[in-house]
Amino acid sequence: MRTGAVLRPSDVDSLREAVRQQPRVWPRGAGTKTALAPPEGAVVVEVSQLRGVLDYDPAEFTFTALAGTPVREVEELLGRHGQYLPFDPPLSAAGATLGGTLASGLSGPGRYRYGGVRDFVLGVRFVDGRGELVRAGGKVVKNAAGFDLAKLMAGSLGRLGVVVELSFKVFPAPRARASLRVDRPGFEAAWGLLRALYTSSFDLEAVDLVPPGTVWVRVAGRPESLPTRVQRLRAFLQGGEVVEGDSGIWEEVREFRWVPSGWTLVKVPVTPRRVLDLERELLPTASLRRYSAGGNVAWVAWPEEPAALSDLLERLDLRGLRVLGPPGLPFLGRVDSDGFSSRVKQALDPVGRFGPYP
Amino acid sequence: MLHEIPVDRYGAVGRRMARAVEACVHCGFCLAACPTYRVLGEEMDSPRGRIFLMKEVLEGHLEPQEAAPFVDRCLGCFGCVTACPSGVAYGELLTPYREYASAKVSRSWPDRLLRWLTMETLPYPGRLRAALRLARLVRPAAPYLPARLRAMVSLVPDRLSRQRGTASTVAPAGARRARVAVLVGCVQRVLHPEIHEATVRVLARNGVEVVVPDDQGCCGALAMHVGEGARARQLARRNLSAFPDDVDAVITDAAGCGSAMKEYGFLFAGQPEEEQARKLAARVRDVSEFLDGLGIEAPPPLLAPARAVYQDACHLLHAQGVRDAPRRLLGTVGNLEVVEPAEAELCCGSAGTYSLEHPDVAAELGRRKARGLLAADPDVVVTGNVGCMVQIRAHLRAAGRPVPVLHTVQVLDLAYRGQGFPRLA
Amino acid sequence: MTEAVDRARVLQGLRALYPEGRILTRPAELAAYESDALTAFRARPLAVVLPETREEVVATVRWCHRHGVPFVARGSGTSLSGGSLPVPEGIVIALNRLNRILRLDPEERIAVVEPGVVNLDVSRAAAPFGLYYAPDPSSQPVCTIGGNVAFNSGGAHCLKYGMTSNHVLALEVVLADGEVVRFGGESLEGVGPDLVGLFVGSEGLFGIALEVTLRLVPKPEAYRTVLAAYRSLEAAGDAVAQVVASGLLPGAVEIMDRLSIEAAEAAVHAGYPEDAAALLLVELEGEEPEVEAELVELLEVVRASGAYEVRLARDEADRQRIWKGRKGAFSAVGRLSPDYLVQDGVVPRTRLGIALAEIERLSRKYGLRVANVFHAGDGNLHPLILYDGRQPGQLQRAEELAGEILRLCIRLGGSITGEHGVGMEKRQYLAEMFSEQDLEVMRRLRRAMDPGEIANRGKMFPVPQQLEAAAAS
Repeated sequence: MRTGAVLRPSDVDSLREAVRQQPRVWPRGAGTKTALAPPEGAVVVEVSQLRGVLDYDPAEFTFTALAGTPVREVEELLGRHGQYLPFDPPLSAAGATLGGTLASGLSGPGRYRYGGVRDFVLGVRFVDGRGELVRAGGKVVKNAAGFDLAKLMAGSLGRLGVVVELSFKVFPAPRARASLRVDRPGFEAAWGLLRALYTSSFDLEAVDLVPPGTVWVRVAGRPESLPTRVQRLRAFLQGGEVVEGDSGIWEEVREFRWVPSGWTLVKVPVTPRRVLDLERELLPTASLRRYSAGGNVAWVAWPEEPAALSDLLERLDLRGLRVLGPPGLPFLGRVDSDGFSSRVKQALDPVGRFGPYP
Repeated sequence: MLHEIPVDRYGAVGRRMARAVEACVHCGFCLAACPTYRVLGEEMDSPRGRIFLMKEVLEGHLEPQEAAPFVDRCLGCFGCVTACPSGVAYGELLTPYREYASAKVSRSWPDRLLRWLTMETLPYPGRLRAALRLARLVRPAAPYLPARLRAMVSLVPDRLSRQRGTASTVAPAGARRARVAVLVGCVQRVLHPEIHEATVRVLARNGVEVVVPDDQGCCGALAMHVGEGARARQLARRNLSAFPDDVDAVITDAAGCGSAMKEYGFLFAGQPEEEQARKLAARVRDVSEFLDGLGIEAPPPLLAPARAVYQDACHLLHAQGVRDAPRRLLGTVGNLEVVEPAEAELCCGSAGTYSLEHPDVAAELGRRKARGLLAADPDVVVTGNVGCMVQIRAHLRAAGRPVPVLHTVQVLDLAYRGQGFPRLA
Repeated sequence: MTEAVDRARVLQGLRALYPEGRILTRPAELAAYESDALTAFRARPLAVVLPETREEVVATVRWCHRHGVPFVARGSGTSLSGGSLPVPEGIVIALNRLNRILRLDPEERIAVVEPGVVNLDVSRAAAPFGLYYAPDPSSQPVCTIGGNVAFNSGGAHCLKYGMTSNHVLALEVVLADGEVVRFGGESLEGVGPDLVGLFVGSEGLFGIALEVTLRLVPKPEAYRTVLAAYRSLEAAGDAVAQVVASGLLPGAVEIMDRLSIEAAEAAVHAGYPEDAAALLLVELEGEEPEVEAELVELLEVVRASGAYEVRLARDEADRQRIWKGRKGAFSAVGRLSPDYLVQDGVVPRTRLGIALAEIERLSRKYGLRVANVFHAGDGNLHPLILYDGRQPGQLQRAEELAGEILRLCIRLGGSITGEHGVGMEKRQYLAEMFSEQDLEVMRRLRRAMDPGEIANRGKMFPVPQQLEAAAAS
């Protein structure tokens, strides 16, 4: 794909300069979310040169890093200290950056337990549409001072500002994990199981449903209690196969390796109850599906240009975000136009330097 | 809370009132515990709001007349006292404030008439008896009466018990374990003498010699709660001399009376009788508190299993802090399951003469209370105060499920006598 | 006189929106609304309205916008930062009667509520389904969801599950110029910028939440609540770092110092060891086998940290008592002093010991007692500065001491507020935490929602020095 100029500022000041000088710029991290790539001819500001962990005290369970820092680098660093980002940031093996992860607002299956990227970001520095460097939030785990622009940046797709620095909280990594695979004859039975788990008091890390009838459950905790917990869970599930060497399975999910090359992958927020409606509509199509986070997000892989998927989602009053595949307008399905987001856009990027709000 | 109350201007109680204001940190924890706030949802009708308004009046920044509707609407249930983490002695502000303000506030003539009617009848058994006979004649016209009169008439019992003499001393069954004097007071003696009778029987059954002093009268609670301090003291003075010193306790079986008598020391603050009042107050015990402390003989189990829902009387729970004693006593009755109602801590809306003066709020609270109690699906409702019993009974009837309502001692008494609960009316 | 005529004219239009009894203008009615839980500030509004429907709220906001009259939305008035203080000559919109739980959907684990619903009432309604609403500010029996949303309220159990912001899924809001907008959804996930995240904690400067969709979570199967007594506050502070470093993730980690233990014990008789210089309260929650295993390790860590007495909550009633004492501790300190200021700064958790020692030093320097009761696991301090407002100069000294503590928090890399918000109280300090440029962007956002700056005017943003001086004179 041909793009226009790609600017790779080496520091924040040159990034600000780049933003000021261009009438329209497209921020980009590692470009792993291919469907969100800039259109042809656009001027791209890539933050890949702005990388590195600025501050990490393991005893503090927080870190601050530049936006272009690959998530994988951070995960390795955390891992050495028995810590992790519990929301399974997607595409980290593919090279996703921290900034891109926040801007795309994507979280993996592990978001089920403690929340997604928006729940772990503590503070940001970003360059707004006037080229000013703005700081919001903080570096401590609790902070109520000023407007929470760090959360606002989650899912903003770089249309409100270019994030240059982020602070996150992290958690102690579980010492042991186990995954269970439960097969049910048919989708409805599996879906019933998903919903039963959703309101149960089991402390689960991930609950995914894969059509036609498989539920994947991940539990994590202490090695000495894990066997008992797995046993209790199996009793509740009336079966379930403990999968050995499960980390590879979840890695495949996080990296979307189940999505055939060239297909469009769409993230669709949904609720556990509505999963069935969505599956009924999608079943006759050529799509592949994975219902993640206990049925709060549907990952839909679509073989061609997703116009038909967009219509289908709109009929169901759902909205989706393209993640992988050929670039296009980011949002599918229901059109949300509210006076709130347009005002936010106006305040942060008055001249539309980061493109119109889609 | 900071204040500029000229403490000395308010006599012996000035300091106490100011201290209550100081202790309040305006945190609002009392709001959820306040029945009027729960019904009306406005700050002036919350304890925090009332404390602020009373402070403003005492400082001279607000006319007493302006604050009057809100301070008047307080039920005096003291739910806020239980809820308050900073220990505001709300009663030590409210009672003297009401007395102070009553002289400064002009009221409408229906208000005054109602106040006069209640204050001139309720504390005096003879007059009350006469008034009730009169009211029964009026009852057929009830639907045409103004709301407050209608509320009054609706509380008139169907039958009036015959005046019964109470023996002045009742001997204990078996060896004497204690000697007590019992307050028979005023309203309860006329409306529900059976409660006193049960009290005396249960006490005697448990080895307590019971004295019923002849000269006693109304404890003064009703007058005290509406700010008629002089009348309250006049009534209380009679009791100061009527109750003997040579008893282990002075027993009340109406929570409102018990809490008032426990406050006698405060009522006479700065007066010649203060010391004497303090001594009497120190001996006052609610019957459940006393029996629980003494330890009772377990009654035989009920013939058939039954479920009781225990509703705290505000003046027992919040004003006297008696929570566990009645529950423990009821727990000694075999075959009786005791359950807690929803919103147990919330007043039923009776509150002395409150249900007569503020029928709307009282009725809303009564309806809410009936709902909460009936949700527990009880065979009997048990509480510790005659006013609550009358109010709850009326609202259970209105809700279409007139479950019997008994005093804790009545339940014990029935159990001792091997009798079941009265049938649904 | 002309002023009175003016007021009457201004209010005439507003009166048309409300029946008698739901628009309050008499002196006693207004006096009751003068302060929230921070009584150091008082302001008398022009009127208080008691809407019962969202349409009435919208109509009121539109009326205010049309006439340029400032308004403040108020729930139960429990703000500790003066966040719901009325604007003089403005309107107070008291939302207490909008207290309906509109929908409780246990299968989807959501509750849709009006802003005047009391926090704890959500959990009560959800309890029969084994669910609860996680954020638990100490004032939860009285504080409202609307206020929680405006100030991103926290509580003792934020360590694991975050603050209000992490539990709000969708909002319907009337912006300050009267436009009604909806954003967010019922799913835990969304696409597009996190508008809910922006609105929560905006201190009422954008508008008023009319409907809030909350996430409910399953009640943990088991709790283990541990009380550990220490001979010094620093030792307890250091114990927190050790608990955190051990890799345990408790639901709550709290500390109370000697003064707060004394006050709380007097209030609820929770059975705290009264001779302790500091008390560490750690609560584990989760699946039974897991918390049981975690408890073994926690007890080892706590004992090794120098605790001289360790006690476990015996049963649920005991646990409730322990928490009641902790949650009532702020107010209970009212027993020890006629007045106090509560601060809410945050420091990095590894700096807790330093921060506590410095507060101790400042307390001596200013000659004012400071009680500490705080969310240690989050590094969220709550120093209560005790003073007597009747002693000349004491309030000023207390405010100076409070300022030093806030600057200390900023210096240590923390924040001036963890959960109480900036409100009236800390607005001057916001400028020490953020640059003028940062604040300017926040102001732009505010004006985008509220061009006339009528929503909760005067809160959060620092007031220019000269205006501040003018207001004081």
